[in-house]
Amino acid sequence: MSFTLRGRLESRLAAGLVPLFAAAGLAAAITEWWPLALAAAMLGVGLVFDVAYDRWLEYQPGWLAPPLALLELGAVMGVVYGAGISAPLTVALAFFGGSWLLGQVLVHGVFPYTRLSYGEEGGELGRIGPALAAVVLATLGVLGGVALAMQPPTVRLAAGIHQGPLVLDHAQKLVGEPGAVVRGGILITADNVTVRNVTVVGGESGIEVDDAHNVTLERVRVSGAELDGIHVRRATVHIRDCLVHSPASEYAQGIDISFGFDLAPSDVEGCTVVGGREGIVTHFTMARVADNRVVGTSLRGLTLTEMSMAVVEGNHVEDSLGVGIYCGDYSECEIDDNRVRGVRADEASGDKTRMGFGIVAHHGAEATISGNEVSGVASRARSFLGARISAG
Amino acid sequence: MSETNSCAIVGGGLAGFVAYATLRHGGFSPAEIAVFGTDPDPTAQWRRRAGAIRQRRMRSESDGHCAPRSFPGLAVRAARRRRNPAPLVLSFLDRYHPTVEEFLAHTEELRARSGWDESFRPQRVTRIRAVPDGFELDGSSVFAHVFVATGHPGLNLPAELRGDDRVIHAYEPHHYAPEVEIVGAGMAAATEWLNALAAGSTVISVRRREPERRPLNLPRHFFTRRGLGSFHSSAPADRAEFLRRWSAPSYPPGRAWDEPVERARREGRFHVVSSPNGAGQIICATGFNRGYREDALLADCVEEHGLPTHRGWIVLAPDSTVPALTDPMRTLSLAGVAGQWAFPAADTLMGAKYAARGFLRRVLTCRSR
Repeated sequence: MSFTLRGRLESRLAAGLVPLFAAAGLAAAITEWWPLALAAAMLGVGLVFDVAYDRWLEYQPGWLAPPLALLELGAVMGVVYGAGISAPLTVALAFFGGSWLLGQVLVHGVFPYTRLSYGEEGGELGRIGPALAAVVLATLGVLGGVALAMQPPTVRLAAGIHQGPLVLDHAQKLVGEPGAVVRGGILITADNVTVRNVTVVGGESGIEVDDAHNVTLERVRVSGAELDGIHVRRATVHIRDCLVHSPASEYAQGIDISFGFDLAPSDVEGCTVVGGREGIVTHFTMARVADNRVVGTSLRGLTLTEMSMAVVEGNHVEDSLGVGIYCGDYSECEIDDNRVRGVRADEASGDKTRMGFGIVAHHGAEATISGNEVSGVASRARSFLGARISAG
Repeated sequence: MSETNSCAIVGGGLAGFVAYATLRHGGFSPAEIAVFGTDPDPTAQWRRRAGAIRQRRMRSESDGHCAPRSFPGLAVRAARRRRNPAPLVLSFLDRYHPTVEEFLAHTEELRARSGWDESFRPQRVTRIRAVPDGFELDGSSVFAHVFVATGHPGLNLPAELRGDDRVIHAYEPHHYAPEVEIVGAGMAAATEWLNALAAGSTVISVRRREPERRPLNLPRHFFTRRGLGSFHSSAPADRAEFLRRWSAPSYPPGRAWDEPVERARREGRFHVVSSPNGAGQIICATGFNRGYREDALLADCVEEHGLPTHRGWIVLAPDSTVPALTDPMRTLSLAGVAGQWAFPAADTLMGAKYAARGFLRRVLTCRSR
């Protein structure tokens, strides 16, 4: 089709109406702003690209739509990451794909069907076009304004050492400048707190989250804590791209998320945990643990226990003592596409469930496993005490 | 019955039929539309010509049909009928060209359900006169809105070949002699090269210039407002030059066209010359006469009403209406090749739709309705 610039913009905005309202609905349902931010990023990128397309494409054949969509997807994801929009990758991809597909159906089917001269007018929608565009832009403006007004304040943490413990007891974004270090830990007790780009040294726990919802920890580095690196109790957290290093205590865990089963799921993604008894552990919690790297633990690499419900996927567990990935005590675990290497038998413990197993289901737990690469172990997967492992 | 405030379509061919289907889509009943033509079958003329050149596929694409909506097009219809997505995939790749049979069958279905035959009047209109409340056709019936789609004004034969017994126009029924000269370099000529070669003839292509290769008659953006915007805003002399330049013969690129010719060339059965050299049969694929003066009805209308013209084209508004004879109470639109001043590819199905939609918009907003 040969679009006019106005036709491109009107078609783009009209096709964006449903995704925008869907995003607004989703945002309301989960009480987070990222769906709207994602929709706005998609529309914004699309409109900017439309101006470029108008310059370069006198005619846009149908077959060009998929490559252009990939180009736009790359730009949208760049904006998502660059702007720190905390949209889960799979949801973002699905949202983009669904919106694009809907747009294709509208532009190639619905608009030409409902408007006789849609094609010959270069995608323009007549009088309704500016009205639809105004609705979309006004919706974006209003919702964006509300979102901005409701955003917690951003606190910049300057480079240098700040003596802790810092107590974050109201909603805020704590963003560290390069070189910002908190000595003595951070305690979070408020909802809607984000901590980003901060290094934490020492403290009882490096970062403790207590009875708080929608807490995001991004690109935090934790080391030298007396107990856990990140310690979460009755809270919902989103932990991404963190580094937790060598908890000092022999009873310390890298990341411990516990007792939030009745809360929204937490997730830990893209983190590296070195040392500790358990690298990442959940008790009585719903969680997704994905794409993390856990090395050198002395009890287990990943532990999902005490009736947790967890998805464990794409993680790399290496050099654990006893067990690589553990699903225990009536938990339900989906364990897919992980790589477990070099689990040493814990002969000293005398515990027959700890003799160098890649994946263990224990005490009534149910684990579904598929696509895992397990090597350097005594046994790839074992179940004990009424637990069950099935292939996914 | 008073016919004031109703619509007339002068010309019962494809462009007239497209206008009829568009008016019906716009809410007009068959009783509100009168179609004047010489053959009740809107495809008759086109079918004869396509049959004469043994055309099997349309140059147009999925949306090259007579229905008022461009979607769903013939590719969707073919995919549904064949239960095969191949036509959709080809359409996605701009490679789908419906067969002539598919196009004709679709048109026949539209005709049956549109009420066309109820509106059809077997009459050749020879005179259009503007009257205060519309247009009087042949001194009797008066219509507020008239859509003129009289088609191409006759077949064109080069002056030097007129009266030669060996000469036949490509659009007239014919066979192929063992040696045949084919004059022209457009779509019809290219089709005739392949036909004659397939019939075992030796082909001599008579042409003064190398044909242009284009998928459609014009670059695609000239089918939409994107290209039309600059066309409509250009000065008359530039617009006429544009139309002259793009009326040069062309046919689509592709192996289906090239390979038989190349093979025949290697076998010594295809030659190119610049003028006829005495073959036993000369087929003129030289298109149609051009200019409103070749159409008696249009020539009379221009003369009677003093309509502005430019180098053989009647000057039209961008929506294909005649400005001097169109106002809030009445509409006179031109379609087909006569509508090129508004839409360069006016002699295509897309052109017919363009004029028909413009006509419908005018009629729907007319105060006399």
